[in-house]
Amino acid sequence: MSQNNAAQILDPQMVELLTSHISIHVASSTDQNQVSLVRGVGCRVNARHDRITILVPRSQAEPVLRSIAKNGRIAAVFNQPETYRTVQFKGVDAQVENATAEDIAALPAYLRSFSERLLKYGVKEIYVHTLCGCEADDMAAISFSPLAAYLQTPGAEAGCKLPLGRPLP
Amino acid sequence: MMQMISLESIRNCLEGLVPSGVATCGADGMPNVTLVSQTMYVDSHHIALSFQFFNKTRENILVNPIASVLMMDPDTAARYRLMVHYLRTETSGPLFERMRAKLAGIATHEGVEDVFKLKGADVYRVLNIEHVPGRELPSTQYGAPILPSMRRCIDSLGQYGSLDALVDKLLDSLDRYFDIRHSMFLMADVPENKLYTLCSRGYPTSGIGAEIPFGVGVIGVAARECVPIRILFAASEYQYTRAMHSEAIKQGLSSGLEAEIPFPGLTSPGSQMAVPIMSNGRLLAVLYVESPLPNQFGYDMEDALVALCAKMGESIQLLQLQAQQGYSTKTNPTAAQPCSNRAEGPSLKVKYFSRDHSLFLDEEYLIKGVAGAILWYLLNTIQKEGRCEFSNRELRLEGQLPLPDIADNLDARLLLLSRRLQERSDCLAIEKSGRGRFKLLLQRPLELVKD
Repeated sequence: MSQNNAAQILDPQMVELLTSHISIHVASSTDQNQVSLVRGVGCRVNARHDRITILVPRSQAEPVLRSIAKNGRIAAVFNQPETYRTVQFKGVDAQVENATAEDIAALPAYLRSFSERLLKYGVKEIYVHTLCGCEADDMAAISFSPLAAYLQTPGAEAGCKLPLGRPLP
Repeated sequence: MMQMISLESIRNCLEGLVPSGVATCGADGMPNVTLVSQTMYVDSHHIALSFQFFNKTRENILVNPIASVLMMDPDTAARYRLMVHYLRTETSGPLFERMRAKLAGIATHEGVEDVFKLKGADVYRVLNIEHVPGRELPSTQYGAPILPSMRRCIDSLGQYGSLDALVDKLLDSLDRYFDIRHSMFLMADVPENKLYTLCSRGYPTSGIGAEIPFGVGVIGVAARECVPIRILFAASEYQYTRAMHSEAIKQGLSSGLEAEIPFPGLTSPGSQMAVPIMSNGRLLAVLYVESPLPNQFGYDMEDALVALCAKMGESIQLLQLQAQQGYSTKTNPTAAQPCSNRAEGPSLKVKYFSRDHSLFLDEEYLIKGVAGAILWYLLNTIQKEGRCEFSNRELRLEGQLPLPDIADNLDARLLLLSRRLQERSDCLAIEKSGRGRFKLLLQRPLELVKD
């Protein structure tokens, strides 16, 4: 991926989707091209809509955070379970940051909404709280400017590049 | 030295109940992450991931085969991060069919049958398993432990003496020790590429004699591929065995398929499993179990039934060998004793059609194929010679019967015939009269009509 690409402004509908308490996975790669991944437990987008921040439990994300701190390369996939709408973003300027007080305060809302989404699959609330729970002092934030987005909703179009600034079909 | 977590101990994560995340890396060093519909346990060192779409993951693993998989235990929420090495993609065969069937269950469960079509099963070697720290729930898998139940089943299968007793003991044991209420035992007719139901439990009608072609439904695919097929949810593609049976007849998938006897089975099974019964690499039969509830048969149950079916395979093989020995023994096969049956009342009209060996008793369909031809031979012998005792050897020597030369499964055909008669006739019955011998008990005079 070329670093010349300028970060794009995300469409408001896309921002709404990313921050609507859906499933998140974050991956990074080492300089030796070895990958690792972790579940995200929340997401926010800055006011200019050009930087995505994903919250992760630091204790679970150790290899991911280490690679990101080294080379800034990141891929993050967002999936809305009940519709299968899935989108992946990539960036090369990711940074590991401390989670803010607002990030920590936002976790219960994430757990509640995500649990509600999974209820239709028979997933119990306690399961989601266990899977995505995170101690306040364990939460880390990874922020990056999205350089490219890919549609990953299952179907013939899966894998196609999405023009940034457009909503997800 | 710290031991790696075994793949067997985390098989629960590989049921596809919670989607796994898969990360790969391209030649340019950029990571890629996606969700995979299904991960599957292959053996203690390998997993398979479903390949449904050509995408970046595919492109990446072809250049850089090392990937990372994050999987979750659907019961405890424990997380495991696997480092895996892509080896190959299978687009047909046992592994592919196992995954295809399982994916069909997941697709129906989630309402996306049209989208979730398997292109291939990507096989990966597991290089490392990391137990990711974090909160976990206590396991709720407090069902009866499998091994003691299996031991009781094996004990009860130890004494059989006949195929009849063996298949009954198997299905009864599954009910008693594993709480499996719906089951069927189907014998393979390999030359005809189909299976016929010999015994069942838990259905309004037994369906004895009902047939299913190889390759159709869970049972047919298990037979064709000689591999256990297990589905955790109602799978529309495999769901209605009975409907598929009718469809197979309609489409002429098997021209000689038994069409008169409805296939047994639940109309909407939540969980299904079919296990082939083999001996020396040869398919003998298929055991099928099902439940109206989803997620009833896990990997451990599959292992248990595969082990039981291995025992069944040996036992059936032994019975066949004993039958063959009886066949080659040059003793007088049949002492021509007159029938002691008292045939009274109105005649029993038996109509026989040589085209498909179908046989009707008083205009009501009974059976066709080999079993029909056998009964026709027996009835003709009674009428011509006045004897009603027969030997298996005699039937094998009888050139007119359409028995295959190798592995004729005569015992299974006689058992099928005997059970059909039990269900459909009150004046004709088969009764064992010794090893390799039996009597046909007839209580009415005969009127034989051939087409």
